[in-house]
Amino acid sequence: MSKRAWQIIGIIVLIILILSITYVVDEKNQVVILQMGKPVRTVQKPGLNFKIPWPIQSTTTFDKRLLDYDAAPEDITTRDKKKLELDNYAKWRIVDPLRFLQTVRTENGAQSRLDDIIYSELRAELGQHDLEDIVAVNRDTIMVIVTEKSNIKMLEYGIEVVDVRIKRADLPPENEKSVYDRMRAERHRIAKQYRSEGEEEALKIRAETDKEKAIILADAYRTSQMIRGEGEARAIEIYANAFRKDESFYDFYRTMVAYKVTLKSRTTMVLPLETDFFKYLK
Amino acid sequence: MKIPMRTVNIGGEVFRIPDLSKVFGKGILGIIIAIAIIWLLTGIYIVGPDSQGVVRTFGKMTRVVDPGLNYHLPYPIETIDIPKVMEVKRAEIGFRSVDPGPPASYRSIPNESLMLTGNLNIVDVDVSVQYRIKDPVKYLFQVRNLEQTIHNAGEAALRQVGGRRPIDDALTDRKEEIMQDTKAELQIILDLYECGIQVIAVQLQDANPPQEVDAAFKDVASAKEDREKMINEAQGYRNDLIPRTRGQAEKAIREAEAFRAERVTRAEGDSAKFVAVLLEYRKAPKVTKKRMLLETMEEILPSIDKYVIQTQKGGDAGILNLLNLRQSAGGSHE
Repeated sequence: MSKRAWQIIGIIVLIILILSITYVVDEKNQVVILQMGKPVRTVQKPGLNFKIPWPIQSTTTFDKRLLDYDAAPEDITTRDKKKLELDNYAKWRIVDPLRFLQTVRTENGAQSRLDDIIYSELRAELGQHDLEDIVAVNRDTIMVIVTEKSNIKMLEYGIEVVDVRIKRADLPPENEKSVYDRMRAERHRIAKQYRSEGEEEALKIRAETDKEKAIILADAYRTSQMIRGEGEARAIEIYANAFRKDESFYDFYRTMVAYKVTLKSRTTMVLPLETDFFKYLK
Repeated sequence: MKIPMRTVNIGGEVFRIPDLSKVFGKGILGIIIAIAIIWLLTGIYIVGPDSQGVVRTFGKMTRVVDPGLNYHLPYPIETIDIPKVMEVKRAEIGFRSVDPGPPASYRSIPNESLMLTGNLNIVDVDVSVQYRIKDPVKYLFQVRNLEQTIHNAGEAALRQVGGRRPIDDALTDRKEEIMQDTKAELQIILDLYECGIQVIAVQLQDANPPQEVDAAFKDVASAKEDREKMINEAQGYRNDLIPRTRGQAEKAIREAEAFRAERVTRAEGDSAKFVAVLLEYRKAPKVTKKRMLLETMEEILPSIDKYVIQTQKGGDAGILNLLNLRQSAGGSHE
């Protein structure tokens, strides 16, 4: 072989050697070093590292990031014996890759372990609460408790459970109908209330109006009667002042006027011949 | 030293570049050197104005780079990620955009959009979450499946908030509060995951009662209308009646005033006439009285029926006859 060919082979061997004694730990990952298949140490700090070349030492890489656990929706029974369709997810990470490798080996193994533990913790916790409690009031605390309990149990698998969260807590389809019935009844009640409130308000306004009308008319009646009385009184005064001047003449004068007004046609009068008026007829 | 040049044709453009084969001599060494130069050149990168670059050296994050032209040592020594930190991304809960449009079309996801509210009602909501990258390093290295994570957390936050409130809050004027609360809740969750995401807004796109009970909810709206209508009608009744009544009242008072004025004025007139007559009468009372009597007689007697009887001769019989006068007289005296 030529000298040049030896050079090339030398370079290739060098590269293979370099590759086999170095390994890179990425920001996203953590690595377990295995010596003859037996784990010897874990490396979580990212960067370039060295090891004894294969086949003596080899590496197994695990994700260091927050990982998903997303369960299929499950029916859960609450303390008040109601069914709830629960869809939850969890966030977890591998904190001890060595233990992780020894116990569950892979992420898939971890998922099934998480499934068991989180589901049973959730069911246990939710069984102690009423449905309304879970939906409205205590959801947050329930989630915190389940997270803590799951976390303690998962620690032996080298897993930290950061968050268990109820994504959806809905009623199963067979219960929805009764909710809809109740909602309809509730709306019906509200609608009825609005309508009767309208009627109430309208009646109030009408009654108030009628009352005001009566008051206005009565007020006006009082005022007009006072005015009329005043007119009468002053007329009486005026008449009295004038007629007082000669009462006997007034008597005569007014009687004459009264005759003229009252004795009209259709009056039949019987006049004795002896009357003063006829004195010249005799 | 003169560098030997050669021309190359790249996409129709002709460039003059150094002729490397002449510089380094022919053969394997030349090829290796050429590959090495190309390899070194792969480290050139551009960070766009809406992005930041994150450089990893042997897997370890070493620096964050601002927009511009830059260089990193080539793979496998250094690698670069250039996340778009200014870009606003969207997560859709309860629906998916099928076509951004216009007109935009959506597909509803009932599983996500139907949720239980505080008083155990069911409401149908569509929500979009807007977010951007707050911390590119955390964004890149902290969480796997980040988009799914944000979507899940958004759903959870929405239901946490929605579950605490009665259905009417979501349907009417409390939408803003729900959006604010959900945004805050979601930010808390995402901060717990340390995923470097900033929630910009949570938008309640649509909130409706489920179809099954839609009619009942509409009836409530129309009941509200009915209430207003009834009140308005009553108000109309009032607006019609009160002014008319005031008019009536005013009329009655004016009539009374007219009566008063008339009575007083007439009284004054009558009095004045009487006083005037009285004055003249006093000048010759006896003859005036006589005259006035006779004038009155003149005035009265022509138009009335009259019977003149002689009381001394007829005695009682005369008066008895009078009772039947009208019948026996017939129409002749009408």
